Amino acid sequence: MPLSYPVHATTLPNGLRVVVSEDHAVPTVSLTLWVDVGSRHEVSGRTGLAHLFEHLMFQGSELVAEGEHMSSLMAQGGRANATTSFDRTAYVESVPTGALELALWLEGDRHGHLLPALTQENLDNQRDVVVEEKRQRYDTVPYGSALEHACRLVFPEDHPYHHTTIGSMADLAAATLDDTHAFFRAHYGPTTTVLSVVGDVSPTEVLALADRHLGHLQDATVPRPGRTAPLPPLAGTPSLDVVDDVPSERLYLCFRLPAVTDPAFLPCAMAMDALASLSVSRLQLRLLRREESVSGVSASALGLVDGTSMGLLVLDVSDGVDPALVETAVHEELVALGREGPSEAELEASRADTERSWLEALAGFDERADLLARATAVFGDPEQVNRYLDDVVAVTADQVREAAAHWLQPGAAATIRYRRGATASTPLPDEVLATAGAVR
Amino acid sequence: MSARTTERPQVRPPGAWAFPEPDEHQLPNGLRLLVLDLPGQHVLSVRVALTLPVSSEVPGTEGSTLLMARALDEGTARHTSEELAELTERHGIAWGAGAGERGVHLGVEVTGRHLGTALEVLTECLAEATFPDTEVARLARHRLADIAHDDADPGARASLQFVRTYFDERDRPHTPLGGDRDSVASLTPEHLRERHAALSPVGGTVVLVGDLSTTPDAVRTVAATLGGWAGQARPPGPPGPARRAATAGRVVLVPRPGLAQTELYLGRPGPDRRTPHGWGTYQALGMLLGGSPHARIDRVLREERGWTYGVRAGFRPRAVGGLTVVGGSVRADATAPALEELLQILSVPGAGLGEAEVRAAADFVARTAPGRYGTADAVADELVALLSDGLGPRTVTETLEQLRTLTVEQVAAAWDEVLAGPPWTVVLVGDPGYAEGLADLGLGPVSVVG
Repeated sequence: MPLSYPVHATTLPNGLRVVVSEDHAVPTVSLTLWVDVGSRHEVSGRTGLAHLFEHLMFQGSELVAEGEHMSSLMAQGGRANATTSFDRTAYVESVPTGALELALWLEGDRHGHLLPALTQENLDNQRDVVVEEKRQRYDTVPYGSALEHACRLVFPEDHPYHHTTIGSMADLAAATLDDTHAFFRAHYGPTTTVLSVVGDVSPTEVLALADRHLGHLQDATVPRPGRTAPLPPLAGTPSLDVVDDVPSERLYLCFRLPAVTDPAFLPCAMAMDALASLSVSRLQLRLLRREESVSGVSASALGLVDGTSMGLLVLDVSDGVDPALVETAVHEELVALGREGPSEAELEASRADTERSWLEALAGFDERADLLARATAVFGDPEQVNRYLDDVVAVTADQVREAAAHWLQPGAAATIRYRRGATASTPLPDEVLATAGAVR
Repeated sequence: MSARTTERPQVRPPGAWAFPEPDEHQLPNGLRLLVLDLPGQHVLSVRVALTLPVSSEVPGTEGSTLLMARALDEGTARHTSEELAELTERHGIAWGAGAGERGVHLGVEVTGRHLGTALEVLTECLAEATFPDTEVARLARHRLADIAHDDADPGARASLQFVRTYFDERDRPHTPLGGDRDSVASLTPEHLRERHAALSPVGGTVVLVGDLSTTPDAVRTVAATLGGWAGQARPPGPPGPARRAATAGRVVLVPRPGLAQTELYLGRPGPDRRTPHGWGTYQALGMLLGGSPHARIDRVLREERGWTYGVRAGFRPRAVGGLTVVGGSVRADATAPALEELLQILSVPGAGLGEAEVRAAADFVARTAPGRYGTADAVADELVALLSDGLGPRTVTETLEQLRTLTVEQVAAAWDEVLAGPPWTVVLVGDPGYAEGLADLGLGPVSVVG
């Protein structure tokens, strides 16, 4: 079923891409500024800077005081937030329609004139906040280090995805004010940014406002890095055993997948569904329901732009069960999926689940704005949001089988085994150990 | 290239908006049905709320209500658990089941063309669930695994320790909603069947929200499915008491040697949604105390000190009364000073609150409402929460009207009432090496639990 969300795309003379989807269901507007800078753009020794900027962008700019970006929007009934990933940093707002112009003016000030307000004091304070964020989200929760380990096993040392977005606390501690200013100039500019606006406003109004408040931005960014050559499936079955105080023994099987823009990515994502995402998936049926050797199993396909994506299978091993038996069973199912392809139920359930969850994602203005910005920045075509479900329906069982046979075989997995033990014996990355207290 | 506009733009007043009003129908079996057509919302949200307070669980079987709700789709007279999973997933039906203070709630998300199938499955599960031995045993084991995971998570651990410390041990809220290790381990299919047999459509609510243009017979379909479910003739009574323990005014430390942060969880009595101060008053209070990085708490603990990624404050209404809750994690070596500073911030008397911060907080809550209720699932969740709490669909709109004229004096009176009540119960999960000085904060006795 083709979707028909209205999409209006244009590019301002300074290179800023603007995409608008008009919808008057409620008197609000959601906007996303999607900036083509994430952890993959960071260089060795200066990791974590992309994410640090997600914080610094709320600390004031030339005409806006510290914290005022958020407080002045909130006082009008606006919400503001930002997120950073491997590939991009996204700044989001949702405002009553009458506050759209204020939001765009605030965005223009911080995206074009941040540096006068980026002081040593702000830098030091937000560095401390990021250290606490890392402790809260990664260091103090069970399995919090899993993604970091996965990236190190799946991607070679010099690869842009070898490190995660939170970065190294040693690198952050070492970053100077000059480093941060240089990073901002290199990456924040109209040509690296997509503005996406969804809601109670016409494309004509948005374009006029975008031109008024973002049209003057000048570009001093460095050329975007070329795409890294796609990596083949992993070889050599790398693995890591982590002994830690965890509630369940847990296995992560991590795979390389094609880039998210590669037509081969979608069959891989559906193969992950067939393996573990749904109740009818083979690993759920066999390990969770029938053999009860696991108490939880899930799969995710993390779509990335720079040549290679990552797929993860996660299994919580039941108490008293040997994790090696679970690993063997997973290997058997990986081989079977590559040999026979998905069952009819697995394929149909994957399509139906994808349809419902895509429509749920598009139901609200915030996420629709995010997906439109993504479609524009990553796929080069905002209409991708209307086309995606047709692409899903077009994937055949044979394509899913081929994807599994090529990308998801036991020999192509990196395995992380969390084993229960009293203390953490995992070799934490050197730089994290080295700075446990350095930034205080 | 356009010239830069340095002048800050004016904001136009927000457009008119009211919480959408559903059509109401009474089904023959006693269920109340609310239907709301929201054009453009292609995924329909169905909610069912049935009265079955967890306080009516037999002592020792705590958690049986939640496990029963979760096991409803694990086998019926007509379908096995695996057949039900396939039936729902091939139609893209997402299914959720839970339990709360007042009873059981079920939720379904489904595209319009599969609404009929979803309602049939929902009705079959309510009417004909069989609770097979193997499936119940499996779900109980998964619930025990969840409990182990909660114990290992500092935030979840703090919240578990809080209910144990705050609520009187004679009352059901002293034990987690889903039960504890001992009670869950003892649950049998028969326990679940007993809970299931007590379910009644009388006094229950069904909510259906979404774009109904492709399902013009939606009301008739609900009547023909859920409306035909018989269930128990009389619903169970209201929830039991949730008294504060006489010893609640104290500090409890859950030791986690080596933890890089300390989880803080503070609670004391708060209002329910029928409070004479108006519920919106407390929503604004929560915002200005701990609703954003520039709220009173994080302005200091996060933005000035850099001790935390964020500490939040808010109010948790129950059927009668509720809780004032403050929580978040702070750098381990700043535990004592952070708690001291937090208590200092929270001790501000009503007279110390400012006109500007009250107006900003009230405007934020009121003006974010249209965006918060922009999707079918959010509207359905709010409707079912209101109706389960004995309130009407107009409550949201009335609360927003109250917020528009909210004064600093009203907020001050509401906060002073909280402060005049019983003192904080404080739970910390963290490294005991940083717990020195807790006894000197005037929070009552300090104890350490395993």
